Amino acid sequence: MQHHSINETVDAVIIGTGAGGAPLLARLAAAGLRVVALEAGKQWNPAKDFATDERSQEKLFWNDERLSAGKDPIPFGNNNSGTGVGGSTLHYTAYTPRAQPDDLQIRTDFGVGEDWPFGFEQIEPYYTEVEQFIGVSGPSPYPWGPARQKGYALGPLPLNGAGQLMERGCRDIGLKTSPAANAALSAGYYQEGVGYRHACTNRGFCQAGCNNGAKASMDVTYIPLAVHHGAEIRPECFVTQFVRDGAGKITEVIYIRNGQEERQKCRFVFLCAGAIETPRLLLMNGIANSSGQVGRNVMAHTGLQIWGEFDEDIRPYKGIPGSLISEDMHRPDKADFVGGYLLQSIGVMPVTYVSQMARGRGLWGQDLKRAAAAYNHVAGINILGDCLPYEGNFLELSDEKDIRGLPKPRIYFSNGESEERMTAHADKVMREIWDAAGAKNVWAFPRNAHIIGTCRMGNDRESSVVDANGQSYDIPNLYISDNSTFPSALSVNPALTIMALALRTADKFLKKS
Amino acid sequence: MPYPPNTVRALLNTDQVTDITRQVLTERLNAPSRQPVFFSADEYALLEVVCNRLIPQDDGMQTIEIWGGIDDRLAENKSNGWRYDTMPTDHEAYRRGLTGIEESAQTLFQQPFQQLATDQQDRILGLVQTGDAPGAIWQTMPSERFFEEMLAEAVENYYSHPLVQETIGYVGMADQPAWNRLGLNNLEDREPRQL
Repeated sequence: MQHHSINETVDAVIIGTGAGGAPLLARLAAAGLRVVALEAGKQWNPAKDFATDERSQEKLFWNDERLSAGKDPIPFGNNNSGTGVGGSTLHYTAYTPRAQPDDLQIRTDFGVGEDWPFGFEQIEPYYTEVEQFIGVSGPSPYPWGPARQKGYALGPLPLNGAGQLMERGCRDIGLKTSPAANAALSAGYYQEGVGYRHACTNRGFCQAGCNNGAKASMDVTYIPLAVHHGAEIRPECFVTQFVRDGAGKITEVIYIRNGQEERQKCRFVFLCAGAIETPRLLLMNGIANSSGQVGRNVMAHTGLQIWGEFDEDIRPYKGIPGSLISEDMHRPDKADFVGGYLLQSIGVMPVTYVSQMARGRGLWGQDLKRAAAAYNHVAGINILGDCLPYEGNFLELSDEKDIRGLPKPRIYFSNGESEERMTAHADKVMREIWDAAGAKNVWAFPRNAHIIGTCRMGNDRESSVVDANGQSYDIPNLYISDNSTFPSALSVNPALTIMALALRTADKFLKKS
Repeated sequence: MPYPPNTVRALLNTDQVTDITRQVLTERLNAPSRQPVFFSADEYALLEVVCNRLIPQDDGMQTIEIWGGIDDRLAENKSNGWRYDTMPTDHEAYRRGLTGIEESAQTLFQQPFQQLATDQQDRILGLVQTGDAPGAIWQTMPSERFFEEMLAEAVENYYSHPLVQETIGYVGMADQPAWNRLGLNNLEDREPRQL
């Protein structure tokens, strides 16, 4: 790997190596730019470092404490965050559906929320590119959304027990299903510029780290591609400040490495630290916020889970967790809410499952032990639905300091009427599916997942932090590329869209400069 | 017990677990009993009694020291990444929460929590869980959130233990070289059958 001196003025510093940073880093490096990525977390060696054990894999989560406020406080840590070269993709489930065109025009269609500042045609070619490069496994043709230029790179992964049960229940009540698109390889795959990656071994452990490179986390896809093209990855560097010149442009990025302050001179900065750390860093520095929108518009997908026990032996630790999908509820008939949701079957690891049962059902004592003993017979369905921005949902800096001496972020979140109605709708649909599939002891675990918004992009600098290309309205050499710029939450998991948008932002930047 | 004993321990000696998995699970199996670092001896003793009501360990198995894991985390100043904004820091929450449980015991039964019958202890914990427990502490800290956080941590500590995972038939750690038999009622030889 190439190394740059901190005295050298590199072309760009990229802060964060997750789904927003890594693809962009690779694109800039491939264009011949001298680029350095600063990553707060470690560089892992998954084969050696990743145990198949939930407890020891907690090291992949962003565990600096955040304060969860509002009527529906959002859990962070294992629910919403990641650290390490690869960011949150180290523990995402690899569920990679595309957004549908109407997801980008919620305001046009419903009169609330926000439209994206460009249409689906702007992002579609990047979906195709990402899917082909990282090797998304899925059905071709895909049963929902517009016809595609190209099928998935590989066929879908095999269905596990939860997937079979959801298929059975949906068939019974007349919902269409399909094996889902997952960014885990159903067969060995050669990745241009990187090399060969092995097929998924069905170990079901995506959310706690893949140990054989089958899952397309950034550390086995865009990061090695970026390094191949000359990028430098600097792990364990926590960015705290920016030095700016008289015209307001950023000239240096200040970060802490091994307890020491270092500075990197640069011409451009790409902030890709995710929808919490990106606005937090801007607020701490008091920059890029003439709109007053930094930290506003916190959105989080509705993510209700319905669990049930079955007579069949399921062993929920086997197979890709999100095995089956239905997008029949993308815009359901007679809906009394905005947007829609997808349905997915879910497998689960035991500690996660029992912990949710403690929080969600409040079980303890012998009741808890009896319910936990049914683990091998449980399966779940989950929704992933749109969420509107609300005035009361935002991020601020608290007065409390974290272990680094920096202000902890406080995140206010309350579901609105639309999210509550959507959740009630989904609760009914999923219980029908599970009843039809033969479930007993059905219970619901309400949750919100994926933080979206907080540095909105848009065409109006009064109401947006960045423009449609991700460029700051206030600081011309600052770009943002992550889930913080999404104007609306979409009715699908965000990772694929973050990657696609990152490539688009990189191309817009390269074209301009 | 619905599953046969010794399944995980036997698998740890095979090449069906990776080296790093074997290492972390063996360490957990062999972890020595812990003297409290964060908690006082009195607090630690009370926490043990409370944990034993949350997750009774009356099945003759080796005792899993759930409370030791809590003390270890607090002593190491580790966080799970978030907390309810309505709650004080984890350190303060545990200190005050344990005092609150003691206060509730005195208010309702005029006796220390540890000297109560188990059904009386369960009644107090039930009131803590629903936000109805009496005492001054609970006027300043939401008891239901304290209960939820403590229960979740206790449960995570307990079900992370390989001996406990044996009792629910979990052998997901034995994932080498692959799981080839997926789907309903389709088990590999190394997956234990229910007794």
